[in-house]
Amino acid sequence: MASSTTHSLNINTPRKNLFAVHFLRSLSKLKRQKSFIGPKKTTERVRKIKTAAYISMARAAGGTSQTWSRAILWRLHRRAQASKIGGYYTKPKKRSSGADVTRGRIWRRRSRRYETTDADRLRTVVPGGGDMETLKLMVETAHYIKCLSMQVNVMQSIVDVLSA
Amino acid sequence: MENELFMNAGVSQPPVMMTSPSSSSAMLNWVSSSTQPVDPSLSRNLSRDCLFWEKSTEQSIFDSALSSLVSSPNSNFSGGGVAHGDNFIIRELIGKLGNIGEIYGAPASNGNVSSASCYATPMSCSPPPPRHMMVTKPPTPLAEFSGDTGFAERAARFSCFGSRSFNGRTNPPFPINNNNVPVVANEKMPRVSSTPALKPLAGESSGEISRKRKTKSKQNSPSTASPSKEVEEKEDSNPKRSKKTEANEDKTKSVDDDPYKDYIHVRARRGQATDSHSLAERVRREKISERMKLLQDLVPGCNKVTGKALMLDEIINYVQSLQRQVEFLSMKLSSVNTRLDFNMDAFMSKDIFPSSNNLMHQQVLQLDSSAETLLSDHHHNTNLQLNPKISSNNYIMTPLEPSETRSFVSHLPTLAHFTDSISQYSTFSEDDLHSIIHMGFAQNRIHELNQGPSNQVPSNMKAEL
Repeated sequence: MASSTTHSLNINTPRKNLFAVHFLRSLSKLKRQKSFIGPKKTTERVRKIKTAAYISMARAAGGTSQTWSRAILWRLHRRAQASKIGGYYTKPKKRSSGADVTRGRIWRRRSRRYETTDADRLRTVVPGGGDMETLKLMVETAHYIKCLSMQVNVMQSIVDVLSA
Repeated sequence: MENELFMNAGVSQPPVMMTSPSSSSAMLNWVSSSTQPVDPSLSRNLSRDCLFWEKSTEQSIFDSALSSLVSSPNSNFSGGGVAHGDNFIIRELIGKLGNIGEIYGAPASNGNVSSASCYATPMSCSPPPPRHMMVTKPPTPLAEFSGDTGFAERAARFSCFGSRSFNGRTNPPFPINNNNVPVVANEKMPRVSSTPALKPLAGESSGEISRKRKTKSKQNSPSTASPSKEVEEKEDSNPKRSKKTEANEDKTKSVDDDPYKDYIHVRARRGQATDSHSLAERVRREKISERMKLLQDLVPGCNKVTGKALMLDEIINYVQSLQRQVEFLSMKLSSVNTRLDFNMDAFMSKDIFPSSNNLMHQQVLQLDSSAETLLSDHHHNTNLQLNPKISSNNYIMTPLEPSETRSFVSHLPTLAHFTDSISQYSTFSEDDLHSIIHMGFAQNRIHELNQGPSNQVPSNMKAEL
């Protein structure tokens, strides 16, 4: 069983190259935006960069193959729709249902209150984890950790290159 | 599943089967196989009942009875051994096993019994009498059975099995209930219910089939309880689990060598409803523990932590720290970006890529320049054309949904640009340097065609490829 789960994780090893390419492209795009350059709106810039980083990570991780990557891209999609339509922006709130789904499943030895906190904390951390089973959630978390660490490495190297 | 077993068993020759202790069931298999084309329900009942008999502790009685039915060369022969009487009894047995109404009412029943009796003839070596006697079958089989209490007992057992252990899957095989039968049935009930071998068989067929691997092997394997294996498993499992295994040890059968001993270790045999529940729980817990181990390997410095809660805390902290790092680095990037000029080519040449793939670097460099030229004017439509290309690449990038790409494009047009260029990039990776030179030419063309509608540009790029 361990081999099977590791195998399932190894299918989508995040590629540094892909992520780097994506991210750099998005960065260059962001640079070209006029509102970007300038000392004002630092937080806005930061947020945009962060979003771009996450999106490129999601794409590098395999687009819609992972639930969390799908969630990230879906968030972007919704934001785009909201900006288009103008104001009608609904954030998918699935966390409660996710808790209900898995409440009766595992970790029975814990109290009810604990049951909600154990897997739900993971769900709050990992994007798109609000509606998943705990087992899938753990696999997603593992993949997400891999991708996150890769992202951190790439970004760190980019910063080093830029600042050096 | 059960039928498979019995078909397999039925393949072997009857006289061989007779010698073994499982011959009783085998004989019934063979009977059931013979009757199958005529009365499937009957054969089903037979097969199910055979399942029981194979595992029941009171097999010896049945063996003797069956041997009395069929005059085997071996000396299992204990009861009355008249050839025609044997066929008679066989017919009675068959009648008891299945729906009596069906057998006696339907005209096919005669064919049923005749076929059975025909098959019985090789053993009895007297073809004509059974056909003759078949006609004169009494309507109530119990009258004859009353003379043979053993048969009544077994018939009662059948009824018990049919009604109880199979959860009503079989029709209650005794619509005609004599006075004897219920009494005997009641007597037999505790014995029947006590034999735990019955329940797991039903439980297996109904319950956790999907979970159990090699259930066939489990059933086929003789009841060789290897306590050593179970002991090993007990040591490996949790103390909670071991308690249950101890409870089941005497009653359950061991499995053959199987990497998934744990949850095939027949706890489900104990009973259906409760155990499928707890078994599912146990399986889940094991799965979760395995995945926690995997996560433990991913998260650095987590080897000392044991237990799900602490492990989970560690994992969550780690993920949050990684996210904070990303945010911090993005802040740094934003500050750096404003200061320095953003030179993508410079990045690509640096050691960002862990693999020293010069080919890729060159391609990326060319693509960078092309992408930048494309950035100036871009239309959404073109990206959709290139989506199928994305799927063809050897990278992990999966094609986004067209709706998504459209929306992305509307909001962030250049991101779609990236997919555009990336797709081309991927195709380049399969070509040799020759194609890269072509790309160089293509870039020049792109520069020229910059003013034109961008629809043409990617098509030109494609043409270059």
